[in-house]
Amino acid sequence: MWDKIYYLIMIPMVYIAFATFIGGLIIKFIIVFRSKKLTGSYAIYPKSKYPLAAAIGESVIVPTAFKKQKLFWLMIIAFHIAFFLLFIGHLELIREFKILQIIPHDVFLGGGIVGIVLIVSVLYFLFRRFKSPWREISVPEDYVLLILLFLTFIFGSHMSLASRYGIAGFDISVEAYRQYLSSLFTTSPAISQGILASPHYVLVVLHIFFANLFLMVFPFSKMIHSVFIFIAQFIKRK
Amino acid sequence: MDPQKRAALIGRIKTSLSRQLRYYLDLCTRCGLCYDTCHVYYGIPKKEYSPVGRAEIVRRIYKKYFRPSGWLFPFWGDSKEITETTIEELSDAAFSCTGCRRCMMYCPFAIDTPVVLSIAKAMLIEYGAAPEELTILADGAVEKGESIAEFKEGYRHVIGDLEKEVATRINASSPEGLIPLEKKGAEILFVGLAGAHSIVNPAIIFNKAKVQWTLSWFEAVNFGAFLGDPIKTQRIAQRIINEAIELGVKEVVIVECGTAYRIPKYLLGPLPFKVSSIIEVIHRYIQNGNIKIKEKAIQEAVTYHDPCQLGRNGGIYEQPREILQLLCTDYREMSPNRAYNWCCGGGGGLVALDNEQFRIQSGKAKRDQITATGARIVVSACENCIFQLETIKTGYGLDIEVKSLTELVAEHLV
Repeated sequence: MWDKIYYLIMIPMVYIAFATFIGGLIIKFIIVFRSKKLTGSYAIYPKSKYPLAAAIGESVIVPTAFKKQKLFWLMIIAFHIAFFLLFIGHLELIREFKILQIIPHDVFLGGGIVGIVLIVSVLYFLFRRFKSPWREISVPEDYVLLILLFLTFIFGSHMSLASRYGIAGFDISVEAYRQYLSSLFTTSPAISQGILASPHYVLVVLHIFFANLFLMVFPFSKMIHSVFIFIAQFIKRK
Repeated sequence: MDPQKRAALIGRIKTSLSRQLRYYLDLCTRCGLCYDTCHVYYGIPKKEYSPVGRAEIVRRIYKKYFRPSGWLFPFWGDSKEITETTIEELSDAAFSCTGCRRCMMYCPFAIDTPVVLSIAKAMLIEYGAAPEELTILADGAVEKGESIAEFKEGYRHVIGDLEKEVATRINASSPEGLIPLEKKGAEILFVGLAGAHSIVNPAIIFNKAKVQWTLSWFEAVNFGAFLGDPIKTQRIAQRIINEAIELGVKEVVIVECGTAYRIPKYLLGPLPFKVSSIIEVIHRYIQNGNIKIKEKAIQEAVTYHDPCQLGRNGGIYEQPREILQLLCTDYREMSPNRAYNWCCGGGGGLVALDNEQFRIQSGKAKRDQITATGARIVVSACENCIFQLETIKTGYGLDIEVKSLTELVAEHLV
């Protein structure tokens, strides 16, 4: 029975998750962009000479957080840089991209640091909410998303670290991941033998399971800030 | 709550949901960076008076009716049904916010809390729970626009009295034509307020500058905006737009009133005339030599309070400072100032409501700022701010004098 459940998570659920993620985003964008625009300018002064660049700069560097809470800012920056590297790392788990090897590195990149940074920052975000005043303004969504991310990262990080340093006989190769992930992309899905036969298979399943859940809730949650932040920052300067 | 009433309220939210609002409702991560940036929270440290606390009241209702999670898993985002209690919470949130947008300076997502609260105001209007004072004032302004002919004769008499005052102050031989009305082809249409000082002081300046100007029949203040009614806001503003077009003026000059300036200047889209604040015009006249002021005439320590709608939301920071630095020997800045300045607590029509004790408490940040400067004279350039600064002065027993910048200039003209 577990084999069937694992299969459902590793193959159909991944497709469902991506369909929900992409479909959800499309629906969200249709609803938002079909809504009427407010007339006039809602800028804050002084205005920037280059509003687009300023909006992108503020969205990426988050100076408001730096001004208010230095540690929080550090965690935000660390988290988002690590998340970007995580994305690159996963691309390289699908197939080889020469352009991503401009700075030569092993796959998965970062030597395990990426996962650790993500875990530490997510735990910081989570524990921060246990304290007043953040506790009062938090809603279950805030905790659930962070827990979901933590679980995804902890299993993903284990896979990365164990593979790199050969911990506990971890034996899933990059090639095994590439076979599995590229099969998903070529719509001829199959779980590679390297993953199936590994005693660590269950960890891969758990990682994929939590990542699937995260993808599915993404368009319907506050995670949409990753897209709308640029637009809102631009409105502030337009 | 009656289901029909609730359905009407949901419908009102739906029609109010602009694109911008949808960004703001979806964006917030509740990071809490805005938490202590509101002057009301500074004076009354309750969650409901933090920007995120206010916006969450609206956001939770939005989630309930406009997000899948609101129907499927209401606990997920703490979604809330519309009830009588929610209406009270919405009222408290919406009409304790002055619309100063200081929280936007600290929000990493640039969430415009007053725009979020526009939903709360729309719902309150729909429910019949909008503040009566603001409703009466907005309706009165709309009515005046529709039947201006009936007001004209009485207004001419009032203006006649004010002309005499202007004549005395500038030693004119005759008061005739010192405050022109309906003057076609004038360069400037000046829009004042109900108070005589809002017309007399600018009239002195315009006469000294020898410009072709005319006074509007209407008051600049837009109670429709304070109320949160976009239709009334437009109709109130349209009265002045129509008047300016009819007279063929090149420039509409708005009295010291932040919201009255921001609406035509930035929120109505392109207009066939220039919109300026009286502060910009005074600054221009001084720079061009149209008027001269007694330089360094004020010896006492002076500080300037940036009205939020003129400064942070209007971009007028340097002109009032340059005027004051000419006038005063001891000009002192508040800290923080300009874009980060604390709101005084009088904007958003709050000074028109029966809430003096609340405004004294929410003016604590401004009290602390003023006290820290050690200034004796506090100058501002917005009628709401002036009124609120007087309330803070009385409420905290401050030994200060509150002055409007136009008044100060008019008193020190050469």
